[in-house]
Amino acid sequence: MIDTRGLSLDQAPPFHIPARFFLTAPLFVLLAGLLLLWEGPSLLASRWLPLALAMTHLIVIGYLGLLMCGALLQMLPVVLGAPVPAVRWVGSLTHPLLGLGALFLAGGLGYGLPWSLAWGAVASALGFICFLLPVTLALWHARGEPGTRRALRAAALALLVTLLLGLVLSTFLLGLLPLGNFTGWVNAHVIWGLLGWVGLLVIGVAVQVIPLFFVTPPYPALARAWLAPLLLILIVLASLAEVRGWDLTATLALGTVGAGFVLFALLTLWLLVRRGRRRLDPTLLHWGTAMLSVVAAFLAWMLNAPPTLVGILLLVGVGLGLPAGMLFKILPFLAWFHLQHRQLASGRFDLRIPHMGSLLAVNWARTQFGLHLLALLLGMVALAVPALARPAGLVLFLSGLVLEGLLVGVVLRYRRASRAFMATPAP
Amino acid sequence: MDKELDVSDLEPPEPLERILDALMELRSGECLAVSHRRLPYPLFDMLRRMGHRYETTGEEGRYRILIWPSGE
Repeated sequence: MIDTRGLSLDQAPPFHIPARFFLTAPLFVLLAGLLLLWEGPSLLASRWLPLALAMTHLIVIGYLGLLMCGALLQMLPVVLGAPVPAVRWVGSLTHPLLGLGALFLAGGLGYGLPWSLAWGAVASALGFICFLLPVTLALWHARGEPGTRRALRAAALALLVTLLLGLVLSTFLLGLLPLGNFTGWVNAHVIWGLLGWVGLLVIGVAVQVIPLFFVTPPYPALARAWLAPLLLILIVLASLAEVRGWDLTATLALGTVGAGFVLFALLTLWLLVRRGRRRLDPTLLHWGTAMLSVVAAFLAWMLNAPPTLVGILLLVGVGLGLPAGMLFKILPFLAWFHLQHRQLASGRFDLRIPHMGSLLAVNWARTQFGLHLLALLLGMVALAVPALARPAGLVLFLSGLVLEGLLVGVVLRYRRASRAFMATPAP
Repeated sequence: MDKELDVSDLEPPEPLERILDALMELRSGECLAVSHRRLPYPLFDMLRRMGHRYETTGEEGRYRILIWPSGE
């Protein structure tokens, strides 16, 4: 369980650091939506199309990368009692580097611009390295539940491998390195990025936050302790087999990894059904949709459906939705937490700080979920009915816009409450 | 006279919010008796700073926390 005994303002980064990551990330959903709106159905025809690669990197580095890094800087001290060293520096460097990296990488991949690809690869790599070095140190000294520690360490390792494979692929595309079996290397990059970094991090975070947010029983001890390390071993095997061209081994290992994630998704859905709090809040709806997307993606892969369908389910269903749902809890909680500490530090117990629930416009959060779900469904159907690709792009853009509006709203309410605190004299 | 508050089924930080609200409305001579599924450590720190005293009984999953102003 989250150890709030060790939680102190000295350990947690200032509010503006995670907030900066969280407010920037949805802008990349806007860009991804605009790209799909502009380019239309041709973008969804194959996962190898330059613009599909551009859109993928806008989502995975611009949106997911920023959100996951920003959230971890804040969560490591809380969940594992492991404050990130020099967190202000890390925040100030990683944030612009990942943002610029995503833009340049998307430009380079999407429009065939070698200079943009090179700058994008270097900036993204530097951004992730600035993040990984201190985070590795923090994880080294981490306390707390061993299962979560293992999952987060495995996810950090997966990010490093994804990054190295990305650099290998970029140098090949720039003509600086010969590479046999390009498809195998790309598949290995995708496996480490999506299943390793994103997948293992989701597992590590879920075992902590699902019981906490939704008042559910804990995940079974065996799954908590060993699912992530087991998946990591299988990911190593699957990616090695992809690079070496051992097709049968790759398929078997990947199938087992997929089955492991399906098991995790079904476990999560089972816990959510047994939750103590019966209300359907937007975070719960996003978690449920993301877990169903995992199951659907695995079935689609088993049935040899187009890889773009698996991609949409994982990137949009899980990658865009789940972090949005988490943000609906994380950002208001952080705002509330910092206000609470301000009150403690000042001893102004005569002032009432706003409840966490009042910091987020929850009806708009439900609208955001609805738009997200519509974008996911339209994106999938657009593979068969190309005329729906542009509407899918428009709805995706709108879901990003509402998400951004919601987060800005939380920050403004936090500022207002902060100012009232400082302006009112003590009685 | 005890004022009862059950926050066992609430997600964080609602238990803390509800308890602080209830403390604000506590009348002189009253105690607040809270039922909670876990021990709310951040609350204890706040209570000390606010000049309140508390006493806990029970076990994991079913705690009872009695809170009263330290002057009484």
